[in-house]
Order: sequence, then C-alpha cells, then structure tokens
Amino acid sequence: MADVEMKDAKTKGETNSDVAAPPQSPVVEIKSNIALIERAVSTLEPRFTIRVLRSLTALRKRLDEKACWTPCPKSIPQDSTIRSSLLSWLPATPAQDESMEVDPSPSPKASSETVPETEIYFRLLILHHLLTSPSTYSAAIDLANETVRKIQSFNRRSLDPIAARVWFALERAYELGGELSDARPLFLAAQRTASLRHDDETQASLINRLLRSYLHYNLYDQADKLISKTNFPASAPNSQYARYHYYLGRIKAVQLDYTAAHTNLQQAIRRAPAPKLAPGFYQAVHKVFVVVELLMGDIPERSLFRHPVLEKALHGYFDIVKAVRTGSLSQFQNTLTLHATSFESDKTYRLVARLRQNVIKTGIRRLSLSYSRISLRDICVKLHLDSEEDAEYIVGKAIRDGVIEGRIVHEKGWMECGGQKTGFGPEVSEMFSRRIGYCLELHNQSVKAMRYPLNAHRKDLVDAEGAREREKELAKGIQEGEIDEEDALGGDF
Amino acid sequence: MSSSKLHTLHKQLIRAFASQPSDLTTTGRLLAELKVILIETGLIFPQGEFSTKDLVIARDILEIGAFWSIRTKAVPSFDRYFSQLQTFYNDFSSVLPRSEREFPIRGLNLVRLLIQNRIADFHTTLESLPLPADELVANPFIRHPVNLERWLMEGSYSKVWNAREEAPAEEYKFFVDSLMGTIRNEIASCEEAAYESLPLKDAATLLFFRSQSEVLEFAKQRGWQIDLTRGVITFAQKGEEKIEIPKEKLIANNLVYARELEQIV
Repeated sequence: MADVEMKDAKTKGETNSDVAAPPQSPVVEIKSNIALIERAVSTLEPRFTIRVLRSLTALRKRLDEKACWTPCPKSIPQDSTIRSSLLSWLPATPAQDESMEVDPSPSPKASSETVPETEIYFRLLILHHLLTSPSTYSAAIDLANETVRKIQSFNRRSLDPIAARVWFALERAYELGGELSDARPLFLAAQRTASLRHDDETQASLINRLLRSYLHYNLYDQADKLISKTNFPASAPNSQYARYHYYLGRIKAVQLDYTAAHTNLQQAIRRAPAPKLAPGFYQAVHKVFVVVELLMGDIPERSLFRHPVLEKALHGYFDIVKAVRTGSLSQFQNTLTLHATSFESDKTYRLVARLRQNVIKTGIRRLSLSYSRISLRDICVKLHLDSEEDAEYIVGKAIRDGVIEGRIVHEKGWMECGGQKTGFGPEVSEMFSRRIGYCLELHNQSVKAMRYPLNAHRKDLVDAEGAREREKELAKGIQEGEIDEEDALGGDF
Repeated sequence: MSSSKLHTLHKQLIRAFASQPSDLTTTGRLLAELKVILIETGLIFPQGEFSTKDLVIARDILEIGAFWSIRTKAVPSFDRYFSQLQTFYNDFSSVLPRSEREFPIRGLNLVRLLIQNRIADFHTTLESLPLPADELVANPFIRHPVNLERWLMEGSYSKVWNAREEAPAEEYKFFVDSLMGTIRNEIASCEEAAYESLPLKDAATLLFFRSQSEVLEFAKQRGWQIDLTRGVITFAQKGEEKIEIPKEKLIANNLVYARELEQIV
C-alpha cells in the first residue's frame, strides 16, 4: 500500500473527537499537557493522560525543534541526567532560546521530582519530530528503542497509555527508516509482557502493530494464527478497535469468509473517526469494503462513490462495480487490466480478480430474470463465454449454487427459468432478528459506556429521603383527615 | 564428520533422483538418512549461523523430498516437506539465491490445496506468494493452479479437462487423476440440481467418461436411477421443501426482545 496512504491510515485513530479548541502555540500546549500528565499521575486518573494524547496528532503537525525544547527547563530540573539525555537527541539547539527561557523564575519548584511520564512524553514528542525528516530516521529508531527499554524498566501502570503511543512511533520509525520486519521480534516480546501485566492499551496497540507488520509482508497465515492466539482487550480505545477490525476484515476476505469480513469492515467504518479527519483510513477501509460487498453479491450504494473523500480514491473500484452490475465479462476484464497497478498497490488485486465469477453469476441472473426460456447458444453469446459446452456447465453450477432457479433441458439445448423466490418466509424473520439484536446490543453497549460523576447519586438519595419523609407526613395527614385526599394528590403531582 | 557425510549423501541423492527413471526406493532411503543428519546439525529448522552452502544443500534435500513424495503419491509427506521448505523460502529469501524448484513446488502445493478443496487456504497461500500480479500470470507454474481455480469456480469444467495435459511440470500430472475425480463429483452435483433427466450418452460426455460402463458405475455410486431401455438417467427430485415456520425459534426470540425491552423501559 502506498506510503502516504498508510500514514494517513495510521494517523487517523489518534484524534477521535477533536475538540474545537482555539489554536494554541505548541509551546503553551505542551506546557499545559505536562501539567495534565502530572495531575494524572498524582490523582491516579488516566483520563487526563488520555486527554493529552488525544491532542497528539494535531500537535504533531506543528512541532518544531523549539517547541520540543522550550518547555523542558520548566518541567525538568536543570541538572538532571534526564534533561541532558533528552537534549542530546535534539540537533543543535539554538542558544538564545535557552537564555530566554531560563530567566523568568530561576527555581520553578525544582524540588518536585520529574515524573517518568513527563520524560516519556517528551521523548514521544521528540520522536515524532525526528520522524518528520528522512535524515533523522535512524536517530528516531535509536531513540525509540531506548525509550521502549526505559518504559519497560519503569513498569508503571500510569505510563501505559503513553507507552502505547511510543510503540506506534517505534513502528513508524522502523517502517520509514528500515525494515518493518526487524521490529517484529520486539513487538512479539513486548506483547507477551503486556498481556502478562494486563496492560490493555499497550497490548491493543501491539496486536495491531503485529498484524500490520504481517499484512505488510502478506503473511496472512501468521496473522490469522496471531488472532486466534490472542484476545483483543475489550477496553481498548476506539481507534485501536477500528484498526483491528480493518485488519481482521482483510484477513477474512482473503480466506473467503466474506460475511465475517463484511461485519468487521463495517465495524471498522463505524468506529473510525469522521472521514474528514482521517481520510486515509476511511478510504483504505472502503476500498476493501466495496470489493467484499461485491464478492458477497451485493452492489454498493451509488452515493458511496459520490462522497467527497472517497470519490477520487474509489474511482477504479467504481468502474469495477459498473462492470459487475452489468454482468459484462469483457468490460470487467478491461477495467481490471486498466487499474491493475492501483489495485496492486492497494493489495486488492487478487480480491478483485476473484470477482470474475460474480460477473458471470450476475449475468446469468439477469438473463434468468428477463427470459423464461433461453438457449445455451444465446447465453454463450450474451455473456461472452468461450463455448456452448462451458455455458452448460456454468449454468448448471449457478443452479446448484442457488443463484438462479431453473432447469436445463439438455435435449433441446435451452435453459428454463423458474419463478423467483417471493422474499417472505423464515429468512425475513431471521433478518429482522439480526437487526433487532444489533440495535439491542448497541443500546446495551452505550448504557455500559456512560460515565457518571462520582457521588452524584448522594444528592438524589437525600432528595428521595425528603420525599419519603413528606409522603409519610402526607399519609399521616390523610389518616388524621386534615388534608383531603384529592387535594394532596393534586398538590403533589 | 556429519558435514562431510551430508555432502556425500547429498551427491548420492541427486544421482539417484536424476537417473532416468528416478530410483524412487533409493531416493527414499537416502532421504530418510539425510533427514536424520539435518536434524542433528539443526539445518532442518535453521536457527543461528549457518553457511549459505549448507543451507542450500538442506533446501535441495527438502525439495527433492517434496518431489519424491509426489512421485510416490504420498501427499501428507509432501505437506511436511513443504512446511519445512517454507522457512527457506520465506525467512532466508534475502540470504539464499532463489531456487529454480521453488515455484514448481509452490505451484504443486496450490494444486494440492485445490484438490483437497481447501479453497480458503489456497487463496491465503496465493496471497502470500512473493510475486507481483503481472508475474503471477506470467509464471507458468503458478498460472496453472490459478487458472484451474478460476475455471472450477466459474464452472468451466471443460477447460479444466482440456488443461490436464498442459501441466507445466511432470509432477503436476500426478494430481490429474484426483483432480478429475474432484471435478466429476462437482459436475455430478450440478447435474443433480440442474436436470430432470439426461440421456446416458450425453451424461458420458458431460462427465468426460469414455465408455458407458464407466457411467453406469459412477451413476450407481451417486444413486441415480437409470432407465436402460430408454437410455436415460433420471435424477431423484428433491421434493419441494416444505416451508415451515420455526415456531420455537420465533418464540425464543420474542421472549428475548421482551426481556430486553423490560430492561430499557
């Protein structure tokens, strides 16, 4: 897959809901982020860290050396080794910046020890900065490796969300600067550790890293084995889930399990952030999705190809859909050769090539709908088949596979088409029950996902207590005949 | 010690295998001996440092083993050799020069998967071939199974039949018989669904049988009714399946909905 696209695809998940915050300068933003991280560590509340990481993608694009460097003095004590080790990764820091930043308050509560989370966060920022230019890729790989070693030596749970991002950066570094396959043993080892430590965030991230690495080298067998041997943590963030479903969908599609592929890709689309934010991922998923839908015998909706984000990317696929829809083998073959390179780079060529039989099936189905009796000779001509003999076998197979209802009369050399199914029956109720099941599941999931402020129910408890009190009084009043029953009810409601 | 023995045995193996016709029994005996040596030296699943020459020899032995298994019609043994070769083909692709036997063997593996009707595995394997799409068509060893699969899926059985003689390598022909068995069964099941009755003569052509007695034999296996006087095969009609309403399932579903609704309200 083209590099640019994959980059997009990978960046997509980082921002699921970009809060419309006023654009801050990166320096200010990093500073406030560090405060948040410290707060997260002291209050043991991972929410703050997650908030910081959510802004990472947006921040990443605006990073420069100054931004990486300037907030350092404030948050990291002047003389600590951490600081010097961090600085060594930044190429030639301009001197005047330093003097500018040092003067305001010489002792910025230097007593507080730097939390490891802050350090790793800085490393992550520097890492992303290094990844912006090809000349520093090798440095990025070194830094990533060192950072990962550090994280593993700390073994702190509050570090997990950041660690997950570091793994992502590590993969990027290896992909850009060297061989992606070299990082695989690293991922595998880390994945084992992460699952032993119940480090869900890192585990989810690593499983995706591994799957991506396998799929990059077309190792579908291994990828499939990995999936069957691991449990994707249920608490993983949406962005990781979207990727996981995407990879799963691709694997299932290759294994001809189109129904499972379809469900997974649909999930990936649903969980993915808005198309405008992560166009690359959205396009990548839809490419496979369209092909899988065609393989299942469905025709994707026309509106899909008019979507502003998808229109251009799906151009080749649109032509394929047209060919399949009309059931014309020659048109299909032409389109396939025309777009071969783009399909190849999307790694969908072989999937698309499988559509050939669907083209034939669609053709036969169209014929069976429009004719009640048609000679094999005509079928052969209309579908551009090579010989009548072939036509007979193909029609026979279509009848057996349940594509059409009909009979072949061999002696007369024609096909008689039977009536179509009415579309009522147990299948309908099955379809409904599947949809209802999905809605119910969705409802239950969203109820589970709701967050409630702590101790908020206390107030309600007090209220309820008061109400009960009043009710008791009321009951007493009624009993004593002071208040008329009707009055009381009317007043209360 | 074992290294020199490996070399001499390897040479003997090549000689035994290359002789016309191949000396299958000697090859088999040598292979068994060589495998023991490979295991002792750790070359069968190489980890760590090995010289390229040794690795090539090990690969060579396994490749001959794979061909030998096909010639002796031992498919499970071919399967084993192939999975052992995977390491050499995939993980050492950057170290070792490409073997000229690699694609014939990969192709054979694809045909094997096809015959065993493991279509999902077939596609997974195909996907992981280290070839771009256009070379896939150009490579005769791979093109053959790919075409076979396509024709089988489409239903162009006559093309499969015609292609049986066009096998790119000698070993492919060993699979032809079982391939024909597979497509005959496919065709038969199609015929059962698509025809009410079929003249015996036409059935023979459709099924690629040369004589009528073969058809009769085959028809007996499938349980077809043959009317010899008229020379017609009639296929047992699977009577229109009665549409039954799955009551229990519906009730169970409704109960589940009711419970869920109760929770929501």
